[in-house]
This record gives sequence, C-alpha cells and structure tokens, in this order.
Amino acid sequence: MVAHSRDARAVRSAGRLNEPRPARVEANFDGTPWQVNHQPVAVLREEWRVLDRWWTEEPVVRRYFEVVLESGENTVVFHDGAGGGWFTQRGA
Amino acid sequence: MCSCRTRVPVIACLSIPGFELKAALRRSPALALHPAALAPEPGVEPLLGPVTAAAEAAGVRPGMRLGEALATCPRLVLVDPDPAAAERAWEEIVRSLEDAGFAVEPAALGVAYFETRGVERLYGGLEPALRRALAAAGGAWDARIGAAARRFAALAAASVAKPGQALVVRDEEMGRFLAPLPLSLLPLERQRYEELEALGVRKLGQLAGLPGGAVAERLGPDGRRAWSLARGGAAARVRGRRPPAEVAESLELPEAVGNELTLRRALGALVETVLAHPERRDRFVRKVALVARLVGGGSWRRSLTLREPSADADRIRIALAPKLAELPEPVLELRVELVELTEPAGRQLELLAAGAEDRSRLREGLRQVRASTGSGSVCTVVEVAPWSRIPETRALFVPRDD
Repeated sequence: MVAHSRDARAVRSAGRLNEPRPARVEANFDGTPWQVNHQPVAVLREEWRVLDRWWTEEPVVRRYFEVVLESGENTVVFHDGAGGGWFTQRGA
Repeated sequence: MCSCRTRVPVIACLSIPGFELKAALRRSPALALHPAALAPEPGVEPLLGPVTAAAEAAGVRPGMRLGEALATCPRLVLVDPDPAAAERAWEEIVRSLEDAGFAVEPAALGVAYFETRGVERLYGGLEPALRRALAAAGGAWDARIGAAARRFAALAAASVAKPGQALVVRDEEMGRFLAPLPLSLLPLERQRYEELEALGVRKLGQLAGLPGGAVAERLGPDGRRAWSLARGGAAARVRGRRPPAEVAESLELPEAVGNELTLRRALGALVETVLAHPERRDRFVRKVALVARLVGGGSWRRSLTLREPSADADRIRIALAPKLAELPEPVLELRVELVELTEPAGRQLELLAAGAEDRSRLREGLRQVRASTGSGSVCTVVEVAPWSRIPETRALFVPRDD
C-alpha cells in the first residue's frame, strides 16, 4: 500500500550509523585501557583525541584508543570526557 | 431566496486577506487578538506582511517598514512565516471547494477564482452556490467572495466584501461599482502608483475615464493593462486547475542540520526515494517543492517548475540544491513533494539491460525481507558528512520501501 503523502506514516526516520555503544573498560592510572568487556588488552595500537562542537552546549570531548584484545579482536574504545563513561565504536 | 441561473458565466473570487498570517497564527491563536504582524523574510527588504486588526487599530499597516512599525506600536509581535503550513491550509480549502463541485483556479495564497455556472442548478442559483463555496472555505478564515462577469471586477468585489459575505456585481453595475475603488487594487509597481497620484488619479474610475492611448504612451504596457482592468478587464474564462499529485517523502534528521553539504546529501537521498514511489511510475515530474521544518519552529518552502518534465534524479537534485542556500535556519526535517506530474507515458526500454537480472533478483530478495519483517526494515546507508571527525555523524540509515 502506498503511504499517503500527507499521512504521518510517509515520514521516515533516519538512524545513525556507528552509534557508540557502552563498554565496560578498566583503565590504568594514565587513562589507557587494560581490559575491555572483561577481555585483557594485548596491544594498544593507537591513541587520538577528538575535540569538536566546543561552540555548542553539547561539546564532543573524546579520547580514542585502538586496541587488540587477547582474543585477537581489534576494537576501538573511547572515553567520553564530556559526559563520562566508556564506549566502543565502529567506523572510527 | 429564489435565484435564476445566470446567462453569462459568473466569475467568483474567493479571498482571504492576510492568509499567510492567519495560517501562521494557527500555532498561537491567542496572538490573533493582539497587535501582531507577519515578520519579513530574512534577506529581503524589512517590510511587514499582513497585520492583525489590533495592530491595524494601533496604526500599523501591511507593507510598513519594520522599524517604523515598532516605533508606532512597541507591543507589536512579529510572527514568523510558516509557508509550509500556509500551503497545506490553502490546499485544504481549494480541495474543499473542489469537493463542492467548483473548478478552482488558485491565483495566490488566499485568492482563488471559480465559475459558478456548472453548479448553479445543483445548488439552486448563484447566491446559494456562493454560500456553499463560503461554507466550503470554513468559517475560521473570514473568507469573502466577489462575483462578476469579469475576473478583475470579481476580485475588486471580494476586496470590499465583509467576512462571510458574497457580493455580486451585475454587469450593468460594474462601471459604477469600480469607479470609487482605490488604485491599490491594480497590480502595479509602487512607482506607477506614485506617478498616477502625482497626476491626480487616485480612483479606478478616474483612470478608466482617461483615453487608453494616452495612458499607454505615458505609463507603457503596465499602465495600459491597468487601464483595461479599471474598466473591468478582459472577459477571460477561469481554468480549473489539475489537482496536484500527492507524492512526497520526508526525512527527519536526528539533529538540526545547517550544513549545506549535509543537506545536499539528504536531498539526494530524498529525491531518489520519492522518484521510486509506485505512484510516480511512468510519469515525469513537472513541478517539485522542497519543504523544511526549521529548528526555530517555523517552516520553509520553495517550489520549482522544471524547464522540461523529468524523472532523472540527478537533474531534479541539481535543480533543487541551490534552494538549500536560501534556508534561514538549521533544519529538523526535509521534505520533497512532487507537485505536478505528467500523464503516464510509454518508455523505450532496453531489450537486454545490463545487470537487469541481478537487480531484479536483489529487488525480489528485498521485497521478501520487507514482507517478513515489515516496512522500514530495509535501509540504505547515505553518507551525509563523511569528513566529520565524529564517526556517528558521517552516515545515516534511511529506510527504503521501493
């Protein structure tokens, strides 16, 4: 059935790709992760920071880490400096 | 009242003065009783739009400069235009008139013409037909109708009629009726009005009394046309419109977007989706509209008639994209409406289209996924800001149901 253009059903909601997902991370005293979702970190491959939208009321302050876990999985986690908490994210 | 059928076609003009303001005030009806005016569009000369009766009583006039209006009435509230809401409300009124049997020719927002001859027998005469048209327009808009044998005379009658009144000007009364009316009813540039006023011409009757050749020599073709209108205008028939197509697609953005490149990508996705609508199939787009819901609560709308009807997504996107630069605020929702479509036409298909089999298999597979999981389960990934440093703002999932 074709949605009537004036019908609210014709309004589609777009979703975001690669939304951050909460992660359980244990960090060293310097803030680097040593355990991600109960799996120890084998290698810390890269670290970078993203500071954006500082001119808005919702600034983005993130410290990203690309890590290899002991299981061999390659993953990216970040610490949210604005709201607190750790997250994993694809596509970073 | 007993009315006879009219022998000459009567042209009726339905008029709703200040329609755009009334449509914008539907969001905050309490303001209708306060001094309020439609705010000027950003980027144009700061002249007021229509004003409420309270504002008029306080000395504010439509077309007044913003600064002058605020100095005259410091309590004046400026109402942001809501063109999308106005367009929708006007479309409802026109459809309601069409449902009552009138073939309507909309001239502008709040002004439409129709002939009554075809429906007079249905409603029992001219006056009952006009009353039916007023009822179709609804009581909330203060609509009024003027009717005469000529289009301009009908408009002039509507401009002096009271809310809810249908004023009929008989053919033999037309000259006397138009004579005392002001020149401002004529579609002339301000400079022309001033020129005529400097010559002592202030009423339609004074203009109509001048020799046509002299007016044309002094004021050019515009003046000649105004002179003709002042005498009632040409006896042009009303052409009922073709009802607009109802194919549209909207995209709600996760957050307000002001970046033009991001909006261009969203527009590209919307154009492709709306063209894939089954209702559009085999028809070409003649007129298209781009509508946005703004972060400040207002709306924005631009429509565009394509030079040649087209169903090419790139062509339509390229035609619409420059309009995005005119957006006054960040956008919460973007909408593309196919306002006018051509009749279905045959198309020359390729005998062996490259990859056609793969595409049809893929389409069938997606159709089955949708059938089992429901509408909205199949999405396209649309890159909206691939340069962004924040990964989740680079791309969106957009549901596809084609």
